[in-house]
Amino acid sequence: MPTVIVDGKEIEIGADERLNCIEAARRAGAEIPHYCWHPGLSVVASCRMCLVETGTRDAASGKISMMPKLVPACQTPAKDGTVIVTESQLVKESRARVEEALLIDHPIDCPICDKAGECLLQDYHFQHGQAERRADLHPFHSRRRDVGPTVTLFVDRCIMCTRCVRFTREVSGTSELMVSARGAKEEIDVFPGHPLDNKLSGNVVDLCPVGALGDKDFLYQQRVWFMKREANVCGGCSAGCSIHTEHNQDTVYRLKPRENPHVNKWWICDDGRYGWHHLHDAARIVGAGRRTDRGGPFEAVEWSLVAARLRADIAAAGRLGVAVSPMLTVEEAWMLCAVARSIDPEALLVVGHVPTSGADESFPGGFTIRAEKCPNRLGVEAVVALFDPAVHGWQHLVDEARSGRLASAWITGGYPSAWIDDDTAVAFSGLGCLAVQDLFDSPLTGLAHWKLPAAGFAERAGTWVNVAHRAQCFGQAVRPPAGVWPEGRLYWNMLGRRGLYDPDAVRRQVAESSAALAALGGEIPATGVDLRIHHLASTPS
Amino acid sequence: MPPFQPVLLEAVGVPDGHTIASYKGRGGYAPLEQTLAGRQPADVVEMVKASGLRGRGGAGFSTGLKWTFLPKDHPGPIYLCVNADESEPGTFNNRILMEDDPHQVIEGIILSSFATRASTAYIYLRYEYPRAWHRLQAAIDEAYAAGYLGRDIRGSGFSLDISLHRGAAAYICGEETGLIESLEGKRAWPRIKPPFPAIEGLFRKPTVVNNIETMACVAQIARRGVDWFRSIGVPADPANPRDPGSYGPKLYCLSGHVERPGCYEAALGITARELIDRHGGGVWKGRRAKAVIPGGISMGIMTEAELDTPLDFAGPGKVGCLGLGTAAVVVADETVSMVDFLHNSCRFFAHESCGQCTPCREGTSWSLRMLERIKAGKGRLRDLDLLAEIGSTMGMMPGSTICGLADGAAWPIKNAIKKFRGEFEDYIKRTNPDGWMVTDPVPALQIVGAH
Amino acid sequence: MIAQPRILTDEMIAAIESLAPRYPNRRALTLPALHVVNAHLRHVPLQAVAEIAELLGLAPAEVQDTLSFYQFFHQDKPHGRTRAFVCRSISCALRGGDQLLEHLCHHHGIEPYGTTADGSLTIEPAECLGACDFAPCILANDDLLKNMTPESAAAELAKPRARAT
Repeated sequence: MPTVIVDGKEIEIGADERLNCIEAARRAGAEIPHYCWHPGLSVVASCRMCLVETGTRDAASGKISMMPKLVPACQTPAKDGTVIVTESQLVKESRARVEEALLIDHPIDCPICDKAGECLLQDYHFQHGQAERRADLHPFHSRRRDVGPTVTLFVDRCIMCTRCVRFTREVSGTSELMVSARGAKEEIDVFPGHPLDNKLSGNVVDLCPVGALGDKDFLYQQRVWFMKREANVCGGCSAGCSIHTEHNQDTVYRLKPRENPHVNKWWICDDGRYGWHHLHDAARIVGAGRRTDRGGPFEAVEWSLVAARLRADIAAAGRLGVAVSPMLTVEEAWMLCAVARSIDPEALLVVGHVPTSGADESFPGGFTIRAEKCPNRLGVEAVVALFDPAVHGWQHLVDEARSGRLASAWITGGYPSAWIDDDTAVAFSGLGCLAVQDLFDSPLTGLAHWKLPAAGFAERAGTWVNVAHRAQCFGQAVRPPAGVWPEGRLYWNMLGRRGLYDPDAVRRQVAESSAALAALGGEIPATGVDLRIHHLASTPS
Repeated sequence: MPPFQPVLLEAVGVPDGHTIASYKGRGGYAPLEQTLAGRQPADVVEMVKASGLRGRGGAGFSTGLKWTFLPKDHPGPIYLCVNADESEPGTFNNRILMEDDPHQVIEGIILSSFATRASTAYIYLRYEYPRAWHRLQAAIDEAYAAGYLGRDIRGSGFSLDISLHRGAAAYICGEETGLIESLEGKRAWPRIKPPFPAIEGLFRKPTVVNNIETMACVAQIARRGVDWFRSIGVPADPANPRDPGSYGPKLYCLSGHVERPGCYEAALGITARELIDRHGGGVWKGRRAKAVIPGGISMGIMTEAELDTPLDFAGPGKVGCLGLGTAAVVVADETVSMVDFLHNSCRFFAHESCGQCTPCREGTSWSLRMLERIKAGKGRLRDLDLLAEIGSTMGMMPGSTICGLADGAAWPIKNAIKKFRGEFEDYIKRTNPDGWMVTDPVPALQIVGAH
Repeated sequence: MIAQPRILTDEMIAAIESLAPRYPNRRALTLPALHVVNAHLRHVPLQAVAEIAELLGLAPAEVQDTLSFYQFFHQDKPHGRTRAFVCRSISCALRGGDQLLEHLCHHHGIEPYGTTADGSLTIEPAECLGACDFAPCILANDDLLKNMTPESAAAELAKPRARAT
């Protein structure tokens, strides 16, 4: 195995790995500061912050010969015998000078800059910079320039790392951003009439190491040090991009992509990034409501009483059909099926409505937005298969309801936007008991006897399976609005289980009973697990 | 020493010397015909290597050796880029070669393309040379008409197209990968190396970039032979196995405060004093030289006491200059203020820095700002220390930048502060009696006009 | 939305396309295309940039990025019928280049990079024009004006002059 020596410490790297010195040093616990390098973009080595001393150790004699001058760690491959020195006097002075150079023309308006607290210019200044300013003072100016519907540019904070320009040229393939002029007068800009307007536009804000690029959705909303973050998964489509939900006191302020080499790498689309506002929409359904007369108002039912009364109403009505929404987690889906069959052993269980919009859209960097706008169809199908190998879909349930072969129905939704029209909803108008569990009112809730709230993606813990059969587990970031029992809590309660809802216990139970989901029984890494590999591995040959 | 009999400049002053008829009458294109008829590309590479020819564009790298970096048996295309961007202040020899003897250059290009198996040659010509543009294009047309360019030249199986590509007034397009990026249609931000152009250059294909004067030398070596070339100049130091010597004739540009500014051909190794006194008619107006640039402003500054330095590839380095560069000698007489001199240099480099990498982009801008402030009578002694630091930390030599523009920007600062420090200190103290001792940062001046 | 009349004439497009066989891709036509338009219009307005981009299959921002780097192409309005580059690099500065520029600008009542009101003359500082043997010098369209003095330069620049190539 190739050995790299970092600050005197030996570390092994994989024989097939292609690492640069930043990546190799990181393995040894040495974080080499850098601005312009990013693993998802071309290497330009222009910021010069990552300059280190390198050399080679002769394999035979063990003698180390160092290069006579500093080299950028980002463009230097780490091979067997590579020696990296990250903390010598030469390196420290070089970093301090780069910091000083970047601060010469910088407005240093941290008090009014969103990036404060997560800004590399700040961080590196404190870690590597000089204590006193030596350059001439000049008047403060911090211009703001509109570059598109989602992103704003604070021109003078830019340090010319060109990550944003490279992103639009290499990853989104849209080339809206450019560098204008030459030398110290260079600025980032867009061509008039051609704003930064692609479906991946928000990623440039993540890429910007400083506060030059700002996210209009997040601008001035929250200081970063007040936010906590939870590892979640985006519920916008079947790509299942890994995200962090950043929140404070149960309010979500922004979503950021979470690095996952198997799914989204470093990126997320704008629909996903900004697709959290529905969580705080005042029109959300809260509280459990019941009515016997469709035309009348709903009567609030205290949550501790819902399980028994709902069970009784359904049992009284007769044959049950359940739509298991692809917005539900694997655990919630399984519990819902179990509850349904415990009320009616012949209950028809179908995969709920699968929303689609447009076609799959792939970008030059490899990122793909899926047309299927729900996160867990495959997971729900695998669960439903355990109860009914036929694995019917939503249309079958609609037909059964319309043709009078159902007497009651429990429709789970949890869709962030309108998903059902009057013509489809009317299929359920003849049922003796219609329970709808959803985020917002719809033509279906207009016909319902029971109206129950749904949880949003950040308000639940559990597992989703994406289009590539990768199962990802995530935790709950924020509590749902007051008066909302999320699906998991309600179903746990209806199964008669004691204590708080424990998704891990349910997940393990599901894994035991399903070959397709068997991998869920073990330790699931943060980047998820490919169910098919484990399925094949565990299938007896 | 008898005056050097011009070879590279043999057409200057000859009526219609720029035409193909005149060139052929002087023996031109016969070497090309002989080469195509009876020699292999490898023979031409060996010839140029053996001659000891070192690139005339400023870096002085062995031309033949550079050609061997091309991959063997590459399916092609291989490109030859001829660097006619000549923008180094004080330099104008390429202009004269292109205007007065374009066929010498073209024959050199065809021979070099044959040697390197290039199928396309682009001459990247700076915008500011319209006369050279017209002369070159006319010569290229004549060469096509005479069958020296195009498909299957003279039945040899070798094909070559030469195109002129016009620049737009950016100095950094003279840097080989800046030139390549510009030719490809992008902003001329030099590339990081590796990969080097010989492996991955223009359009990501193997590429050689050579200077105009280098091409002319190739034509002359083919005509007059390796021994002739090596008989001129300064032989390699036998005690130093790494010294490739300084062989061949060189075009020296002389300008500034001399009686006769001009381009003079001499054997490599002539001293600055000889160039000024014998060729240039001496310092003008009976004055003494104060500061002399040895090879274009990037190479730094020599004092009057250093004028006996031989201007070969090794000489200027011995007096703390960056190197021979473009061998453009610029003389400043005793009335010149070094503050003005250095300000002019800093203004140039701040204007021309491509802006890609932090130390050059900010260092050139900061040093100009300081010189502006010093000139305006608000300088501090501390500024000299800061300038010296910028001068010693910015550049490829310390490893802090991507290309050598920063070294060129740094060297005049370094040399000026070191060799003329007294004058700077006097100026600062005299013009800023109340503030020269301040060590805290001071307000920058508003810079009037673009830099 | 009002459709703008096309700025790139058939003649300009033909001139650009005639260069296409020289290069293996369209992007390499960027700088030659800018020069074609500039030679005709004495500037390259933003709309022309967009049209060039469309012709070459590039994003407008890519062409503008390249254009703006050179600090050479006027965009807001045409430069003067005579475009005078006054050299200010070291050899010319040693022989009065800075004073020449200052004098000429003052004489015509414009700032450096400015154009006279009648559109006849633009005066710009230039870096080394490569004519140090004739310092101080001025490049006026295709003509190299040598060994200039404030008086001789003023006289030269007053003359009408053939278009720049």
